[in-house]
Amino acid sequence: MNRQIERWRTWVWVLPAVVLLVVFVYYPIVDNIRLSFFSWSAFSTSPAFVGLDNYTTAATDPVFWHSLWNNVLYAVISLIFQVGLALVLAAVLEEVVHQRLRGILRTIYFIPATISITVAGILFSFVYNPQIGLLNRALGAVGLGSLAQDWLGNPQTAIFGVIGMSQWQSIGYTAVLFVVAIQRIPRELYEAAKVDGAGHVRTFLSVTIPLLREMTTLVVILTMSGAFLVFNEIMVMTAGGPSNSSQVLNTWLYHNAFLTDDMGYASAIGTVIFVITFSISAAQILITRRRRVQW
Amino acid sequence: MKRTIHKSALLAATAAAVLIAACGAPGTSGTAKTGKSQDLASPATKSGTLSIITKFADPKYAPFFVDVAKAYESANPGVKVNLQQVGDQPYKDKIRVLSASKSLPDIYFSWAGDFANKFIRGGLATDLTSVVGPSSSWGKTFSPAALKAFEYQGKNYGVPIDLDAKYMVYNKVAFQKAGLSGPPTSLADLLSDCGKLKAAGYTPIAFGNQFGWPAIHYLTQLNTFDVPAATLAKDYNPSTGEFTDPGYVKALEQFQSIVKECSNPSANGLSHEAAQATFLNGKAAMHYLELLEFPAITTKGGATKEVANNWDFFRLPAASDAPGDKNALTGAPDGFMVNQGSKNAALAVDFLKFMTNLQNAQKMTKQIGYPSPVQGSATEANSVPQQRKALEDMASASAYAIWLDTVTNADVANAFLAGAEGIANGSQTPQQVIQAVQKAAAKVKKQS
Repeated sequence: MNRQIERWRTWVWVLPAVVLLVVFVYYPIVDNIRLSFFSWSAFSTSPAFVGLDNYTTAATDPVFWHSLWNNVLYAVISLIFQVGLALVLAAVLEEVVHQRLRGILRTIYFIPATISITVAGILFSFVYNPQIGLLNRALGAVGLGSLAQDWLGNPQTAIFGVIGMSQWQSIGYTAVLFVVAIQRIPRELYEAAKVDGAGHVRTFLSVTIPLLREMTTLVVILTMSGAFLVFNEIMVMTAGGPSNSSQVLNTWLYHNAFLTDDMGYASAIGTVIFVITFSISAAQILITRRRRVQW
Repeated sequence: MKRTIHKSALLAATAAAVLIAACGAPGTSGTAKTGKSQDLASPATKSGTLSIITKFADPKYAPFFVDVAKAYESANPGVKVNLQQVGDQPYKDKIRVLSASKSLPDIYFSWAGDFANKFIRGGLATDLTSVVGPSSSWGKTFSPAALKAFEYQGKNYGVPIDLDAKYMVYNKVAFQKAGLSGPPTSLADLLSDCGKLKAAGYTPIAFGNQFGWPAIHYLTQLNTFDVPAATLAKDYNPSTGEFTDPGYVKALEQFQSIVKECSNPSANGLSHEAAQATFLNGKAAMHYLELLEFPAITTKGGATKEVANNWDFFRLPAASDAPGDKNALTGAPDGFMVNQGSKNAALAVDFLKFMTNLQNAQKMTKQIGYPSPVQGSATEANSVPQQRKALEDMASASAYAIWLDTVTNADVANAFLAGAEGIANGSQTPQQVIQAVQKAAAKVKKQS
């Protein structure tokens, strides 16, 4: 009898979370998939079933593929900076920099992460301004004036301008995550490495990196999912332009849903984004489970 | 443990299934396109709650609408006005979400053109012909062209709230220094004047096209000049649009010439406001802007004294051999529509009558600088001379060329928008742009 009460009590505790998840996460996902098989707009009263048409449209839509490519670019560059560089930065902060400076530097690196994306986007729009922007002026000042560009107005550079801002904003955040993880590594391991004659680089490669595997995986998942869910930065800085050159999947979804009123196609793009981010997360979780390090 | 997990999963799945079934299928429950006819006569006793949504959240404009709502509540103690104001861009999202979920407020804002027509076709707008039609007493208070902008198949669905048109403003001092006696009268003159202004050290036209719409305004006007009106009307209609007339390519080429000969470089990387600043501080000689922006060209609006005291405007000139309507003017009113499903339609109409009475129309022009379509609302006391001159000029226009991005279907508009950005940075040719537009028009035609 007691066990039964215990079981019911468990359900009572779990139920609110389950209901919230079902209503706000699982139901929208399922319904989004259903809606991707219809052609409908916010103004239409009768959605028409079109089968896989929205997915075929995506397959033949050059902007969709360009958006996907921009997301991949976003992910690769973010991995290099927000995982690779942030890891090195964290190790340098913890192992090389004097203790007095550490706190100040950590704060300086972290400050951009506390600024809202909208503010950072507007700030960087000024930095990239072709007439009065800091970047072009800085390039001119160091004799690289020939590299000055209309960074956000040129289809070749617009997406890199946005990605650059994103790295500036996020690198401090991921570096701090790595700092916390490094601080959890037992000092004896570093001392043992030192006794064995390992220098900073060897210690970083043989002690720090292997023991940060779980945190690295977490940061990789966050960075990659973030790269496929990016939206605000693009909307604030370029709105996907010029000529759709800086569209990513989320902005293309938004564009189709709210500007061209093609909600069915937007739902199909939403499903594609879900499949990509879900697969990335699932794959990485599986890989980490297999290679967990314990001490 | 495993059993518990399976049970949890089963419970979650069952709950999901139940919820999905309970919530039904969004977007499938629709209202009939031709709803019941509404009684729009002023109610004998005014009471109830009226919901309104505008796109005037900008602190410069919002207070006027708040004041009107409060004044209406004071005059009618039984009425509560629930006013929501959102920004220009977020409004486009919000109104679509409200439409899709069938929760439109009683009164909602709309741009003229296909944007408004979507509500009408979707059965979401009340036919207001009986109260605001051109022969009604309320309808006669408006400029007829403004009223016509919200006409669909001979019926009136919108109440115009402001008047807007696109003009090229110019700095008279810069023109004098460049040896120009007055504004150009043809496109060829404009292009040659640009060379003289450059030689005098000015940026001929300040052009910021960061989000694409400023280029669209040029194309709206140039299409009107270069394509015969009947062809234009056929092509702007989603079900008949083809865009095969050579005038469209001509218009794109002319836009390309304006960008090359007259505008500052890197227009796509500059916001309209950043470009405008170069006109306001006297570095640029011309700027293509909306009548609603005229109040910016004052010392209060940020202009130097020299610019604020020495500016005038002209219409973007047409090529001398342009086959289209050379007297049409880019511009359109914005307006309000009444929800077809509103239970307070008569009260909503009464509120709109109040909002657009002469007193409030004059107040709007004075308080936020918006010219009103209500005749006689612009006076010496509430507007700058250039605004009044522009209103006179608008009255002489043969037709309004409604903004290309709201008059056409969104797919076609976006093809123009992306293409114009490509022309502005030299990455696309007019031929490539028109091919993309034709492709978008074919897709839209197929869907219509």
